[in-house]
Amino acid sequence: MTTTAIRPSTSVRFRQPLAAVSVAGALIASAMALLWAPPDANQGEVQRIMYVHVPSAWTAYLAFFVVFLASIGWLWTRRHAFDAVAVASAEVGVLFTALALIGGSIWAKPTWGVWWTWEPRLITTAVMFVMYLGYLLLRSLSSDVDGRATRAAVIGVVAVVNIPIVHLSVTWMNALHQLPTVMRPGGPSMDGRMLATLLVSVLAFTIIYAWLVVSRAGLERDRQRRLLEARSA
Amino acid sequence: MRRAALVAARELRADMRHPDGIATAMTLMGALVLVESVVVGPQTARDVAPALYWISLFFAAVVLTTRSFERELADDAIDAVLALPGGRDALYAGKLLALAATLALVAIVGAILQIALVDLRLALPGHAALAVALGVVALPAVVILDVALTLRLRARAALVPILAVPALLPQLIAATNAVSLASVGDAAGSIAWSGLLLAVGLIYAVTGLTIGGTAIE
Repeated sequence: MTTTAIRPSTSVRFRQPLAAVSVAGALIASAMALLWAPPDANQGEVQRIMYVHVPSAWTAYLAFFVVFLASIGWLWTRRHAFDAVAVASAEVGVLFTALALIGGSIWAKPTWGVWWTWEPRLITTAVMFVMYLGYLLLRSLSSDVDGRATRAAVIGVVAVVNIPIVHLSVTWMNALHQLPTVMRPGGPSMDGRMLATLLVSVLAFTIIYAWLVVSRAGLERDRQRRLLEARSA
Repeated sequence: MRRAALVAARELRADMRHPDGIATAMTLMGALVLVESVVVGPQTARDVAPALYWISLFFAAVVLTTRSFERELADDAIDAVLALPGGRDALYAGKLLALAATLALVAIVGAILQIALVDLRLALPGHAALAVALGVVALPAVVILDVALTLRLRARAALVPILAVPALLPQLIAATNAVSLASVGDAAGSIAWSGLLLAVGLIYAVTGLTIGGTAIE
């Protein structure tokens, strides 16, 4: 019986430093969110869930935008590295969208009185979640490396339209969801310490996202190599 | 463009020769209108008619597109078209034109059924017609793309709605609101939603025409 040595992917050397920075970022953001940032004047302590909910949503947007870019990259160059980044980013994006929906639901119960309501931001976010679940489902139904990557890339390009729809849904339609408080004309309308904590949380989540994507893309590259070697054998 | 027109003409000829896809789509529309009035009662049926109309039109588009590709696969005609230079793009664009035309026919029949059976009153019929015209052009771009992507997969029947419904959400919301507001006489509101329908339809049509050929295996 022979075994094939698989060349370790270049992402390996980034994983450990990213993991270390991710843990440090998570600890700092948690400390700031739980100990340093003041409670909200109206909502009290429950508002602290914002430091998980908003960064999760931001990371999901980023992840799906990276899926879009990587999909274009695959369609343009047919380099498998782009497909590996696309699938990694889609999986992590789905994870963070789920986190944003769950966090939002936990926040909604004490503030709106319900876990879920038919509101534009909630519906469009749930739709985005379903769309990328469909993306992952589509990938899972084929073992042909190139065909799967092409199909997924087409969906990755089409699905990006969801990001502005989700973000702008609160301004387009009558929404129960709060309007933007950071990226708004006239600057952020938030207490300085709250804003600093939110920005640190967003940064920490972004680094965690990068760590997860680099790790997952490395695994996908190894899998692609095995499949391509099996195909050419 | 000439090749796309040829593909569209061939599609329409095939639909006229074997109108099983159109017949199925129209039967589906009729059945849903009847079920709607029976299940929710005539008053509520009038309120939900625009939403149900567009949802049934979406499923009609899926039926028509699936039938069209099945016809191509059954006699391997698709391989001959794909072998031509620019064949994939022509096939996508041709199917887009043909589906828009057949869907327009199904949309007219569906609208007549809604007006006759649910007693749907349209205060601004011209505005409603504009929304329907934009809608039958906006739906096919995504539906053809999704059917083409899942063409050779066993789980196609389940996958197409999962992939298409989220992508079509903006079109379905805009089209439903445009018709709803036209039925109550809100001209400005109806035009605004029709504008959104046009914008989203254009985005998907351009995207589809750019990468649609790639999706066809």
